[in-house]
Amino acid sequence: MIPILGLAVGVVLGLLLDPSVPLWLQPYLPIAVVAALDAVFGGIRARFDGIFDAKVFVVSFVSNVVVAALIVFLGDQLGVGAQLSTAVVVVLGIRIFGNAAAIRRHLFRA
Amino acid sequence: MSAPPGRQRSLGASLLDQVLAETLDPAYAQAAAARAARAADLRPDPDPDRGAAPGRPPWLRRHRGQLLVALTLLIAGLLASITYSEAAAGAEGREQARQALREDIRTESDNADELVVQLEELTAEVTSTRQRALEASSVGQRALDELAAAEQGAATVAVSGPGLRVTMDNAPPEADSDPVGGSAEVAEPGIVQDNDLRRLVNGLWAAGAEAISLNGQRIGATTTIRQAGGAILVDLRPVAAPYVLSAVGDPQGLQNAFLTTPEARDLGQLTPDYGVVFEVGRADDLELPAATAAELRHAAPLAATAPARGSGTTPGAVPDTPDPTSDGD
Repeated sequence: MIPILGLAVGVVLGLLLDPSVPLWLQPYLPIAVVAALDAVFGGIRARFDGIFDAKVFVVSFVSNVVVAALIVFLGDQLGVGAQLSTAVVVVLGIRIFGNAAAIRRHLFRA
Repeated sequence: MSAPPGRQRSLGASLLDQVLAETLDPAYAQAAAARAARAADLRPDPDPDRGAAPGRPPWLRRHRGQLLVALTLLIAGLLASITYSEAAAGAEGREQARQALREDIRTESDNADELVVQLEELTAEVTSTRQRALEASSVGQRALDELAAAEQGAATVAVSGPGLRVTMDNAPPEADSDPVGGSAEVAEPGIVQDNDLRRLVNGLWAAGAEAISLNGQRIGATTTIRQAGGAILVDLRPVAAPYVLSAVGDPQGLQNAFLTTPEARDLGQLTPDYGVVFEVGRADDLELPAATAAELRHAAPLAATAPARGSGTTPGAVPDTPDPTSDGD
C-alpha cells in the first residue's frame, strides 16, 4: 500500500511542482522513464512470484535508469543516439511485455 | 516463464533468446535463493520469508524495505510526470510556433492583397494622369493611340468578347483505384505537363487568337508557363488542374483554324492514349483580365520621335510613361 501511495505522491508532485529540467538532461528523460517502467514491472512480477526483494528492486531501478540514460548519452556522443535509444526501447519493451504477461497470468490465471 | 533460481546466463545463447526468455531480473531469484538458504542454515525463523537480520526486529526491516520501495516509486512517479509535462510543453511550444507562423502568413497575405489594391489604384491614377497630359496635344494624341495598340499587344488591358474555351485536365483516376485508401493518384502519363499547355497556347496564337488567359491569368507576350516540381507556374504563380484556356477571337474561325493546327492534333491524341481531358468549346462572353505590365526599362521623350507642334504642351518634356527611372527625362 505504501509503495502505491509513493507512486501517486510522486506523480502528483511532478505535475504540481512542474520543476524545470536542465536542457542537457531532457533527451534522456523518456528513456529513463521506460527503464523505470521496466524495473517497476519487474518488481510487481517478482512480488507475484513471491520472490520480491526491496534491495534488488531499488538497485535494479536506479541502475536501470542510470544505465539507460548513460547508453543514450554515449550514443549521442558517438552519433548513434537515435539508434541506441531504439535499441534500449526495444529491449526494455520486450521485458516489460514479458513481465506484464506474467503478471496477467498471476492475476487472471490465464 | 520465470527464470529458474540461480540460472546463469549461457554464453552460447543468442542475445535475442536471452532478452525474450529472461524478462525478470535474475537477481530476484538469486536473492530469494540466498534468503532461503540463510533461513535453512540458521535457525528456524518464525517468518522465514522476511529473512530478518539478527538484532533487528522484523517489523523495522519490513518497513524499511517498504519505505525504500515507496521512495523509489515516488522517484519513478516524479520522473514520469516530469517527462510527461516536458513532452506536453514541447508539443504546446510547437503548436504556438505553428500558430504564430499561420498568423504571419495571414498578415502577410493581407498585406499583399492590400498592396495589390494599392497598385491597381496607382496604376489607374497613372493612366488617367497620362491620359490628361497627352490628350492636350496632337503629338500626345498620337502617342496615346500607339500606347493603346502597344498595351493591347502586351496584354496589359482587360479584354472581353466571344471566343474559344479549351479545357485540359489530368486523366481521371482509374475506376478500380481506391479513393478511401488515400491514393487517388493519377498515373504519371495522365498528368497535364507544362509543355502541353505551352503547345496549346501556341496553337491558339497560331489559330489567330487575340487574347488568351489560363485559369484567369492573362497570357502576354512574355508570359512563361513552366513546371516546378508538381506545380505548373504561369509567371511564377501556380495554377491547378483543370486548366481552362480562354481565347478571344472569332469563335467559328478560331475553332476551325485551331483544330487544324498540329498542336491541336497532338493534344487531341492524348485523350485516347493517356485519358487526358481535352475539350474545345465556343464561348460567347469571355472576360480576360489584364496581365501585369512588364517592367519599364526604356523610355524616350516624345520630342525625339516627333517634334512638338506647340499648342500648350511643354515641348519635348512628356515621357510616354511617368517613370522616374526612365532615361528620357
